[in-house]
Amino acid sequence: MNNGQEELLLLLQKAQNEFGYLSEESVAELAKSLALPISDIYGVATFYSFLSTKPLGRNVIRICKSMPCYLKNCQIIIDTVEKEIGIKPGETTPDGKFSFQLTNCIGACDKAPAMMINSDVYDDLTPGKISEILKACK
Amino acid sequence: MPQKLIVLRNCGVINPKDITTYLDRDGFKAFKKAIDELTCEQVTEEIKASGLRGRGGAGFPCGLKWDLARKAQGDEKYVICNADEGEVGTFKDRYILERDPFTLIEAMAIAGYAIGAKKGYIYLRAEYHHLDLLTDAIKQTREKGFLEHFDINIREGAGSYVCGEETALMDSIEGKRGEARYKPPFPPSRGLWEKPTIINNVETLMNIPQIILNGAHWFNQIGTDQSKGTKVFSVSGDVKKPGVYELELGSRLKELVEDLALAEKVKMVQVGGATGKIIPYEMIDTPLAFESILGAGAVTVFDETRDIVDVVYRSMEFLAEESCGKCAPCREGTEVIVEILERFCRGEGLEEDIEVLQRLASAMMLSSLCGLGQAAPIPVIDSLQYFRSAYENRIQKN
Amino acid sequence: MDEIIVTINGSQLRGSEGMTILEVAQENGIDIPTLCYKTELKPIGACRICVVEVEGSRTLVGSCHTPIAQGMVIHTHSPKVLETRKTIVELLLASHPDSCIICDKGNMCELRKIAADMEVALPPFKVRKRYYPIEDTSPYIVRDLSKCILCRRCVRSCSEIAEKNVFAVAYRGFKSKVVVDFDEPIDKEVCRDCDVCTRFCPTGALSKPREVGEEKKGEALFISG
Repeated sequence: MNNGQEELLLLLQKAQNEFGYLSEESVAELAKSLALPISDIYGVATFYSFLSTKPLGRNVIRICKSMPCYLKNCQIIIDTVEKEIGIKPGETTPDGKFSFQLTNCIGACDKAPAMMINSDVYDDLTPGKISEILKACK
Repeated sequence: MPQKLIVLRNCGVINPKDITTYLDRDGFKAFKKAIDELTCEQVTEEIKASGLRGRGGAGFPCGLKWDLARKAQGDEKYVICNADEGEVGTFKDRYILERDPFTLIEAMAIAGYAIGAKKGYIYLRAEYHHLDLLTDAIKQTREKGFLEHFDINIREGAGSYVCGEETALMDSIEGKRGEARYKPPFPPSRGLWEKPTIINNVETLMNIPQIILNGAHWFNQIGTDQSKGTKVFSVSGDVKKPGVYELELGSRLKELVEDLALAEKVKMVQVGGATGKIIPYEMIDTPLAFESILGAGAVTVFDETRDIVDVVYRSMEFLAEESCGKCAPCREGTEVIVEILERFCRGEGLEEDIEVLQRLASAMMLSSLCGLGQAAPIPVIDSLQYFRSAYENRIQKN
Repeated sequence: MDEIIVTINGSQLRGSEGMTILEVAQENGIDIPTLCYKTELKPIGACRICVVEVEGSRTLVGSCHTPIAQGMVIHTHSPKVLETRKTIVELLLASHPDSCIICDKGNMCELRKIAADMEVALPPFKVRKRYYPIEDTSPYIVRDLSKCILCRRCVRSCSEIAEKNVFAVAYRGFKSKVVVDFDEPIDKEVCRDCDVCTRFCPTGALSKPREVGEEKKGEALFISG
């Protein structure tokens, strides 16, 4: 068993939470301390959709686009968020406040449509609820 | 048929933040019975005799899995609870974890005793933030002295559907990319760090304490010939009452979808999430059991306004995004099928596409490395069988 | 060592415990095509070209990693197996550039050879090609990832034989890619004179820079049919 390998995903998650993304510096540091090649760490970091090697905004909005949310018209939620913060899925606002992504099933299908902002789940969404939720983001 | 609560018996009854409310509901009595009155072998025999099969989708006999791990040689062994519920339309494990973490912990402790493991892991999907509740429940259990010989660690996923596949899940716990491994070796002989390991779904484990307390015979009376006990379903989509329902195995799909979830004008139901079988309304009386249809319990209902080709296209798009990419048929096949279905959605299908879809589906089912690629074409095959004209109508003329 | 008897294509054959189906087949002159498998490397079961039919099994199994078991009945060239292998080859060709004629490895390419052997012509479907710029800044190695079929022979040979761990697989699904460090063009000093990965690459994805006036390698490959 390589202890460094076991720690890797845990440490990547920690760095992601702390800095909002995995910078080349933090990956290089991990490579050194865990004695793992940078390629391997980059391979793990790019496999998981909740890890990012590019800087993200302070608030990462993830709207679920999977079937149950799709059936409950998540498109209108996507359109509303787009209008409110002026960016498209995959983008980050210039002020670094929001990143906007579409995501696969988050397990809130009984209260679709749903989305996550950072680690909080917002469900039973209507276009009317969006602006208030976004206003509360710092 | 009304709901029958075995797995969900404590949900909404106990306080998930207070172990004493669990102890008042016979909590840890099964664990005490196992270690005081039964040998490890007797525990696995009891589970075998109960007929309990895995609730994560594959339906492997639970007792047999435990027995293989118990007999396997290894200085260390592991019990893993698969709480990576990522199947589209599934939320039953979330519902359970939020309301009754203690039954799960007790079941894992029993499993640890049965196979001779000192360490367990709960692999929790990143989207579920019950880490604090679970951590606290484990702490309370430890303080009561029930985890003296077996300890439980929580590992959080990082956003990957394929990590719900048991071999990918183990690679993820080992800190790697969550890619499928070939089998054999199977986890009970060589699993986590090559040590004997059992991996059970949350719901499978939730049955264990009641089986130990009431006996295999009691459990064996519930359900059908090859499907014992109950099943918890997550119902969503075009229904008035989406939610979590527990039914005796063998209950009809109609009871779940129309009588409990109050669906109307149903066109079809997808049972088992993105890789689930598609059941047209004419077959709504199909029993829910391993013998017919089951999966992990995701039941997505579509009414008459829905378009089957669009539904299958979206399922496939999801699977293409979540394929780990290790094996060629799944990595390339999902992408090609998405390309074809996307054209059908636009009304630009080609005459030969239907045959190509069938060939691709067959190759993927037969040769993919893991369950994702093997099951991915199911919606394609089912929809071509039951709704072929929907495809034919979108073949471009000229 | 325990002797294990299996039936392959109707003949009873002997093997010993721990041997894979592929090893027994090869010992007995039965030809099963392989791509990601190499004797010198640990098997990974990624390409699925070597799948065979084992009676009683729901799916086909990878012969390079499945150990033989007493009494196993195996078919290496049944219609089901051949049809499946052919589809996998078509899938690999669909996202591969159609530049065999000008490709330096064209005559030695294992994908092309397997396609010719199995009489696979143009795939009956389309998929986007993976286009990546050619990496030719290193004096020792040229990398053209559009020709990569993700068999990981470079990743494994670099780690298991050269023990340099230059490569890893990054991203996932169709976007999977063999990367160096932070997905950078290969130009590493450790790659000087090593040549391990270039020898292991089955296609034209990895090669040594061609000297001026050097002939294209390998015998001309004639495709029948």
